[in-house]
Amino acid sequence: MRKSRIKLALELIAIAIALFFLGNSVSDFRVYEGATVALYVIAICSIILLTGYSGQISLGHGALMAVGAYAAVLARYYWHTSGLLSLIIAVLAAALFGLFLGWAAARLRGPYLAGTTLALAVGLPSLANQFHFLGGEQGLNFDIGAPPKFLGSNFSTTKWYFWICSLAALIIFWLVYNLLHSRFGRQWQAMRSAPVSAAISGINIARSKVLAFTISSGVAGLAGALLVMTLNLVTPSAFPLSLSFAIVTGAVLAGITRLGGAVVGALIIVAIPDIADQIAIKAGGVERVSANLPGFITSLLLILTILFAPNGANIGKFMSLRKKKTS
Amino acid sequence: MFAIRSTKRAYLAVASLTVGALTLSALPAQAFSPRSEAGVSATTIKLGITTPLTGSAAPGYNKVPAAMQAYFNYVNDNGGVYGRKIQLTVKDDGYLPTAAVANAKSMSNGVLAYVANLGTADNNAIAKSPVVGLATNRIPSIFINTGYSGFADRSKFPTMYPIFPSYMMEAKIMGQYIKENFAGKKLGLIYQDDDFGSDALAGFKTAGVKFDISIPYASGSQSAATGAGWVGKLKAAGAEVVVMFGVSSATGAALGASAALGYKAQWILGSVGGDATTLKALGVPAAVLTGSIGASFLPGTTDSKDEYIKQFQDINTKYNAGASFDNNVLVAMNSAMLTVEALRAAGKNPTRESLMSAIENKGASFASAAFSPILYSSKSHVGYSGYWFGKYDSSGAMLPDGGTYSLYTTDSGAGGVVKATIKRPAMPAKGLPNNS
Amino acid sequence: MRLLSTFLIGVSSGSIYSLMALALVLVWRSTRVVNFAQAGQAIASTYLGYLVITHTNNYWLALPVAMVAGAVIGALADIALIRPLNRRIKSGPVLEIAPVIATLGLLGLIRSLVGMIWGGDLKQYRAPVSINGFTFGHTTIPFSRFNLLIVFTAIVVMVIFAFVFQRTGLGLALRAAAFQPEIARLAGVRVDLVRTIGWAIAGATGAIAGVLVTPSTSLSPNSLDLLLVLGFVSAVIGGLESLIGAVIGGLILGIGLALILEYVSTSLAFPAAFVVLILILIVKPAGLFGMKRGRDA
Repeated sequence: MRKSRIKLALELIAIAIALFFLGNSVSDFRVYEGATVALYVIAICSIILLTGYSGQISLGHGALMAVGAYAAVLARYYWHTSGLLSLIIAVLAAALFGLFLGWAAARLRGPYLAGTTLALAVGLPSLANQFHFLGGEQGLNFDIGAPPKFLGSNFSTTKWYFWICSLAALIIFWLVYNLLHSRFGRQWQAMRSAPVSAAISGINIARSKVLAFTISSGVAGLAGALLVMTLNLVTPSAFPLSLSFAIVTGAVLAGITRLGGAVVGALIIVAIPDIADQIAIKAGGVERVSANLPGFITSLLLILTILFAPNGANIGKFMSLRKKKTS
Repeated sequence: MFAIRSTKRAYLAVASLTVGALTLSALPAQAFSPRSEAGVSATTIKLGITTPLTGSAAPGYNKVPAAMQAYFNYVNDNGGVYGRKIQLTVKDDGYLPTAAVANAKSMSNGVLAYVANLGTADNNAIAKSPVVGLATNRIPSIFINTGYSGFADRSKFPTMYPIFPSYMMEAKIMGQYIKENFAGKKLGLIYQDDDFGSDALAGFKTAGVKFDISIPYASGSQSAATGAGWVGKLKAAGAEVVVMFGVSSATGAALGASAALGYKAQWILGSVGGDATTLKALGVPAAVLTGSIGASFLPGTTDSKDEYIKQFQDINTKYNAGASFDNNVLVAMNSAMLTVEALRAAGKNPTRESLMSAIENKGASFASAAFSPILYSSKSHVGYSGYWFGKYDSSGAMLPDGGTYSLYTTDSGAGGVVKATIKRPAMPAKGLPNNS
Repeated sequence: MRLLSTFLIGVSSGSIYSLMALALVLVWRSTRVVNFAQAGQAIASTYLGYLVITHTNNYWLALPVAMVAGAVIGALADIALIRPLNRRIKSGPVLEIAPVIATLGLLGLIRSLVGMIWGGDLKQYRAPVSINGFTFGHTTIPFSRFNLLIVFTAIVVMVIFAFVFQRTGLGLALRAAAFQPEIARLAGVRVDLVRTIGWAIAGATGAIAGVLVTPSTSLSPNSLDLLLVLGFVSAVIGGLESLIGAVIGGLILGIGLALILEYVSTSLAFPAAFVVLILILIVKPAGLFGMKRGRDA
């Protein structure tokens, strides 16, 4: 059922080219939103891998993003690592953290895991205020430097971030796709849908779960580092509980097993506040109503999606003439 | 099982969706003629604010935009600023730096300046973001709603104009006040364990005040139970005078626990958490608030003998229906008045540059309700520099000790604290600035 | 004395966590849903109670009104959201996470509606009895009549629950509907109705928690968020399945947090909650009173 690596790579390159032209044709603000979409795609991929495949729930991926973000920033801030190396350090640090957490998590089922990760999301970011070297509420600067000279003097920083985030998203997409279609991906699926038979057939469930958690954490860490790159700043308040919820939401809107849907999910969570804002401005009216409209619309959409398209807002299906077999 | 085979179609769909969405929503942003200054048309001046309207940081602060708009509407109804009407674009950031940056970015080409953006982390994020380019694009961010001391540093934040005395200056002044009035007493301090609190610690240190017990608390953890814990510690240490340098909810928790435990200490409340209306809404009994000492740079909100307060209350009744006149509203209207003066001083056709140079060159003479002098100059972005101390009465109103406001001023560095006489500019007639 | 004070602080905040945990456990037991909307349902009920208080100035009237409102909202949530959800999603990878998402959506929906109706300003209830700590000789302890009322209410709710679950047909039906819905159905239990009753009772319990916690703080659309997280952590500590576990989990968390804040650091509130949780789950992965497997199908 999988397409060949080459075919996927070609498709991703085609998308990259499309994004390149897209980035040149819209306003700087939209380019910025594009960068945000790309980093959400990465974060949502990490949830799809974890929940959609290995069957573990995390409501605390925002905290793992924070781990990656702080690792990248500290490396750059104190050891002056290059931008690329900082991002790699983010992945490794978050993965290492995920390894420990995954070890604890592998013992836990469903709601217990949800509860633990939820407590983590609430507890971890506030640690930054405890230790002076983490920069407190005001945060630490994270400047990966201006775009390289050969891109021209008119090349905006926003576009540079958009490129980095998009490229990272495409690479992660490729890697995760291949991972999910490797031995590990099949093991995870077997484990999720039939844990007992998976164990009988020789899969080490605990180790397999820990591996999924570790990789997922690393991917989330990258998203976190990219997030603070676009902010140029790391601060604990950039990683609220609502961030963790937002990426789980995005993953569900995407269709939790549908890697390609990550783009849809990311687009929706970035676009909704914007659209709601436009509606609120058009509708006018009392401030307390318009201020709560974006939250209202997002929540309503979430409920409608989970009720009527629990496997994701499948745009692909709408475009397709043949009816997809139910899985 | 695998849905990935439909990815190609999904991509197509997503790509077209993206292009569609982006082009559609990109259109209205280009409404301005490219030559004119951002945010200024023949008939309007647009300003922008990003601040929490929803979420846990919203209560209280969510009143700021409406109160500012109320004052602007009052000015607009009375001729505007050289004929132009002021429009305030309001964006909700839920107190999240990511949202604040996105908001600032979305407004960056459509407004002349940001005004009264709230919060240390959010303002810092906006300033640091190369995507917004606050300094490189020379976008003014005026009268920001935070007292973090770092923002007055011109070299780091060249287009940012804080107006409140920094938390550090407030603590320094409070330290002097304590030394003068409570020498030899056992001192306690409760502070927020982040930059807000560390700013305060630096100020108390400069003032040479040593606390017998200091209790940090994590932002957001405050509750009735934590309050009881703090008071238990203060009691055990025998603190007679306690400084509460925290947000309203923490102040409420501390005072509530103090009442419940029958703890009799002289409380001194920092200005951030000292708004009586908010404290009462937090359930602080009048009995414990009465007699507590508060610090402010503005007159008491109930002091309707004060010409500014009377005028602002008037505007609040007519243009801001339903809002109770508390410190948030007062601060917002005061900043709005300063904004109008800055716009007038920026000339008949204000630009971002003329606005900033107006604040630097003429800002020190702007009329406002504050008793404190303004220190803006071509070398300094420090706004207000002074505080007065008063006691809360049984209605929650803060009244000056002995009936007359006495002011302490200081600088933003290591300079001393001095008792100063109040030389406040008279309010322009009807509260409508007429400066130039 | 210091230890006793800390202990009492922990007990009074812990009993509120317990009430929230009870509500969450009840929903979990009846429908296998971790109900994040519990905070939303409670906040809406508490605002309705606020409406009563502003008109009548009577706390004792606000409490039952909020409870009824909470029950109605809970029942509606089950009928309009959870039943269709269970009908539509019977298997697959979203099975476990769908209820989480749905209730998070409901939480956001209720919160924004509350914000639209009442605005974001702080509202205040007065406590119906003294909030001043009891005094023995010259020492005042951090435990007031109001704290006593909270603990007492938690105990009453607990006793009623124990009675209903152990001694009545409804309790049996509730347990049967939760663990063996098909068999229960065959045995003539109206499973859907029974589950909805579970949601309604949970909604009323959450409303009690909201009305009890508000006089010590204040009311705003987000004011119960922290209570939800701590209530959930309490429920997990207690093992999610057990009502007595929920109560003990709440008390452990309340007392544990109070001890850490008093003896370790006042600024470690949130990380401390996480540490308490992790320590317990490492020793007992299914919580203190949780069942091993079997029941979580």
